[in-house]
Amino acid sequence: MMIRFVLGLLMTVVCLGIAGRRLFFLYRLGKKFQPMEAERRLDAGPAVRAEIAEVAFQRKLLRWTVPGVAHFLVFWGFMVLLFTIVEAFVGLVQADFQLPVVGNFRWFGFFEDLFALLCVFALLVFTVLRIQQAPKNLGRRSRFFGSHIGPAWFVLFMIFNVVWTLLAYRGASINAQELHEPENADKMGFLHGAFASQWFASILPKSNLEFWETFFLLLSLGVLLGFTVFVTYSKHMHIFASIPNVAYARRPRALGALEPVYWQGKKVDFEDPGDDDVMGVGKIEDFTWKGLLDFATCTECGRCQSQCPAWNTDKPLSPKVLIMALRDHSLAKAPYLLAATGEDGERVTDGLAAAVVAEAERPLIGPEGDETAHVGEHGVTGEGVLPFDMLWSCTTCGACVEQCPVDIEHVDHILDMRRFQVLMESAFPEEAGIMLRNLEHAGDPWGLGGSMRLEWAESLDFEVRVHEGDKIPDDVDYLYWVGCAGALDDTAKRTARAVATLLHEAGVEFMVLGGAEACTGDPARRLGHEFLFQMLAMQNVETLNEAGAKRIVVTCAHCYNTLANEYPQLGGHYEVVHHTTLLARLVAEKKLTPVQRVDAAVTYHDPCYLGRHNRIFAAPREVLGSIPGTRVQEMPRNRERSFCCGAGGARMWMDENIGERINQNRADEALATAPDVVAAACPFCITMLSDGVAQRQQEGTASATVTVTDVAEVLLRSIRPDLVEDPVDAEAST
Amino acid sequence: MKIVVLVKYVPEPTATWKFAPDLTIDRAGVEGRLSELDEYAVEQAAQLAEKGVASEVVFLTVGPAKAAEGLRKALAIGGSKAVHVLDDAIHGSCALSTSLVLAKALEKEGFDLVLTGMASTDAELSIVPSMVADRLGINQATFAGELSVDGTSVTIRRDTDVASERVSAALPAIVSVTDQTGEARYPAFKAIMGAKKKPITTWSLADLGVDAAQVGLEAASVRTLDVAPTPARAAGTIITDDGEGGAQLAGFLADRGFI
Repeated sequence: MMIRFVLGLLMTVVCLGIAGRRLFFLYRLGKKFQPMEAERRLDAGPAVRAEIAEVAFQRKLLRWTVPGVAHFLVFWGFMVLLFTIVEAFVGLVQADFQLPVVGNFRWFGFFEDLFALLCVFALLVFTVLRIQQAPKNLGRRSRFFGSHIGPAWFVLFMIFNVVWTLLAYRGASINAQELHEPENADKMGFLHGAFASQWFASILPKSNLEFWETFFLLLSLGVLLGFTVFVTYSKHMHIFASIPNVAYARRPRALGALEPVYWQGKKVDFEDPGDDDVMGVGKIEDFTWKGLLDFATCTECGRCQSQCPAWNTDKPLSPKVLIMALRDHSLAKAPYLLAATGEDGERVTDGLAAAVVAEAERPLIGPEGDETAHVGEHGVTGEGVLPFDMLWSCTTCGACVEQCPVDIEHVDHILDMRRFQVLMESAFPEEAGIMLRNLEHAGDPWGLGGSMRLEWAESLDFEVRVHEGDKIPDDVDYLYWVGCAGALDDTAKRTARAVATLLHEAGVEFMVLGGAEACTGDPARRLGHEFLFQMLAMQNVETLNEAGAKRIVVTCAHCYNTLANEYPQLGGHYEVVHHTTLLARLVAEKKLTPVQRVDAAVTYHDPCYLGRHNRIFAAPREVLGSIPGTRVQEMPRNRERSFCCGAGGARMWMDENIGERINQNRADEALATAPDVVAAACPFCITMLSDGVAQRQQEGTASATVTVTDVAEVLLRSIRPDLVEDPVDAEAST
Repeated sequence: MKIVVLVKYVPEPTATWKFAPDLTIDRAGVEGRLSELDEYAVEQAAQLAEKGVASEVVFLTVGPAKAAEGLRKALAIGGSKAVHVLDDAIHGSCALSTSLVLAKALEKEGFDLVLTGMASTDAELSIVPSMVADRLGINQATFAGELSVDGTSVTIRRDTDVASERVSAALPAIVSVTDQTGEARYPAFKAIMGAKKKPITTWSLADLGVDAAQVGLEAASVRTLDVAPTPARAAGTIITDDGEGGAQLAGFLADRGFI
C-alpha cells in the first residue's frame, strides 16, 4: 500500500504540476492581451443556459448526427468516468473505497461500465470517420484538412487507454476484494454490477492479486495524468477551455450586429479618439483575452471549414486554419509578450531566441501579392501570420460561427483585423475604395446620389408618399426604407415596386425618405471602415429620429440587419420588419389574397443576413407557400446551413479572382433543383444568383426560362399579374 | 523644392444643385467636396514629397468657409499646411478674377512648382492654370498624364488624340495633371486625424493686396443669364439585328457624324 501511495502521489504531483504550470503560462499570456469589452459581462442566466445546452446537452454538436452522438457519448462517458477516477484516486490509500450512497448499488457499477463501453464504441465511430474523411483521400474537401492529424489520432488512442486501464484496474480490484474479504460480500456492491470490469477480472492472473491491483491502478492513473498534461499542450484543451469560452460568448450568438471598436476595453470615440487608441487588431495582443481563449478552445473539428463559402470555392480562407494560425502565432510570440519591459517601455529582447524575435516582428496580415503566402495541409506560410487574401475572402456569412460547437467568434475576429487594416493602414483590396468614396460623397455604393432615389417609383400607378420636413403623420403605418439597391439598381427597383404595390393593395399606408435616405453603412462596416459606418449611421439615425420613425419596413437583408441590430448602438431604436415578414403577416391576415395560380417550382435561397444572422427562415417560405400553384423547393444547403451568394462582407464591391466564383457555386446548387424560379429576399443575393444563372444559360446548360427574383415579385404575380414586369436584361443594365 | 497645389472645393457632382437668385450655386443647400480631379494633383505632390523631391507641399484654395473641409481632405493625403483665401467679396468670381486671386496668393506664399487638377468638376473650364501662368509669367505644362521633376525642370507626358508628347519646362512652372497620373490613396483614419492638426492659414483679399472691385459677381467677365435642369435623357435607340443590324448601326453612327 505504501509503495502504491508514494508512486501515485509522485505521479500526481509531477503531472498536475506540469499541467498547472502550462495553465498558469496561458493565464499570464492572456493578461498581456486586451481586456474584454466593457459591455460584455458574464450574465449568469444566459451563461448557465448556454452551458446546459451546449456543454451538457451538446446542442451544436448534435446538429451533425453521427459525430454528434459519438461526441455526446465520449463527453458523458468521461463525465461518468470521473466517478471511477475518484474511486481510483482514493483507491491509492483505501483499497476497499466506495463512493457514498451510490457505491453500494450494483446498478451504479453497471452504469459506469456501460458508459465506459459506449465511450469505446464512440471511439470506433470516430476512427471510421477519420479514415473516411482523411485529408489524404479528400484533400481540401476534408474538414480535417489543415488540422493536426497525428495529435488527433493520439487523442483517440489515449482516450481508449484511459478507458481500458481504468476497467482493468477495476477488474484487478474485484479479484483483490473477493480474495481478501470474501466474507464482506455486500460491501463494494458497485463492483458486482460492473460487468466490463468483471470481464477484466476473469482474464487477469489469479495470483499476486495485490500486485496486479497496484499495477493497473498506477497504470491507469499514469495514463490519465499523462493525458491531462498532453491536453494542456494541445488542441484538446477544449475540454477545459470550452467551459469559460461558452460562458463568455456573445449571446444569443456572435452574429447579427457587429460590436463597435474597442480599445483597452472601452468603446473608441471616433469624434475624439485618444492619441494612442488603436482601431482594430494589428498585432496578436490587440485581441482581447477572450480572443486568445477562442484560439485555445479550437478543437480543429473543421465544421466551420466544411461550411465556409470561401473555402468551398478554393480560396485561401478556412475559419479553422485562421484560428489555428492565430493560436500558433500567439504561442510562438508568447516569450516576447511575457518578456520584461525596459525603462523605455520597450520589451527587452536580449535573452530571447532569434525565432521568437522574428515571430514578434511578423506582420499579422501579409502584404498583397505575397508569393510565399500559402494555406496548405500543414497550415499557413507567408510573410504575414495570415495571408492578405485570407482576410479579404470572408463574406461574413456567419456559417462558421453558426457551426462552431464551442462558440468561437470567427467573424468578429476577422472584422477586428480588417478594421486595423482599413483604419490604421489603409491596406485593402483597391477596388473597394471606389465603394468607400461613393459612400462618402454620394451616400450610396454606386455613387449615383440622392437625387436619383425616387426614380424607381415613377412608373407606379399610385403616388408614393415622400417624407419631407415634419414628423411622419400618424396615418402612416410604416416608413419604407427602400435601400440603395431598391432605389438605384434596375433589378432591385422592380422589387421595390412590387413591395410598394403589395403594401398599397393591402391598404398599408407607407412613406419613403427619398433623397434623405443614405446607405446604412453596412458595406463600409463589413469592410472594416467603422469611421465611415458611424458617419453614415449617425446621419441616418438623425434623419429617422427627426422624422419620428417608429416602424420601418426594409427590403434589403443588410439594411434590415443594420437598422434593427446596429442602429441601437447609435441611439436609433425602431421596430424594423423585413418585407417578407410583413407580407407573410398580410397574407395570414387576409389583407393580401393570392388568387392567380403561379404554376412554378420555386427554389428559395436564404440570404445570410436574413437567415443565419437574423433567424428569419419561415416568413419567406410562408409567402411562397401561400401562392396557389407554387411548389416550394429546398436546396441541400438551406436555412442555418444556407450557402452564401458571395456578396456579404463587402465582397459585393471586391473582385473575386481566386478559385470558383461563390455565386456560381450557389447558382449551380439552385439550378440542380430544376426550378422555374429562384427566389431570394435580398437585392445583393438576387444580383449574384442572376449572374450565376445567366452564365449557365449562356453556356446552354440551364433552361433559358429560369428567373431569379425576389419573394415579393412572385407574390405580385399572384395578386396583380397585370403588373408583372419583364425581366431586366442583365447585359443592358450593366 | 516647394510645391503648391491649387485645389477647389466643389459642389458634390451627384447631388441636385440649387441656384441662388443671383444664379450662382446655392452652396448652403448642397454638400461639397474636394474636386475629384484635384485629388490627382494632391496625390502627385504627396508622392513627390515621399520621394524626397519636394521638401514642402502646401495646398491653396479660394472658396467659401466650408472649403476648409476640402483642404483637410488634401492634408489627409499629404502636405504639411494649407492656405485658404476667404473673402465674401470673392463670391461669384469668374475664372479671370479667380486666377488673379490665386496668382497673388502664390506670389505671397512662394513656390517652385504649382500643381493643379486638369479641370474643376463644377465649371469644367480647365483654363485657370494657364491664366495663373500668364499672370505670374511662369512656364505652364498642362494635361500631364505623367510627370517627373528634377531640381530645375519638370517633364510631363501629354497624351492627345494623335500623339503622346513629352514636354519639359524650366521651373518655376505650373502643371495640371489628368486622371492618368493615378488614383489618390485612400487616407487611413490616423491620417485623417493627423490632418486636423496641420495648420490652415486664412488670407483675405486685403492680405493679398487685391482690390475687391476686381473680383466677385459684378466684376465677372461672363454673366449667367439663365439656369435650367438638364433635360432627362431620351430613351436610347434599340437596333434589333434582323440581318441588317450592322448596316443600321453604321447608319445610326454616320447620321450623327461619328463615322
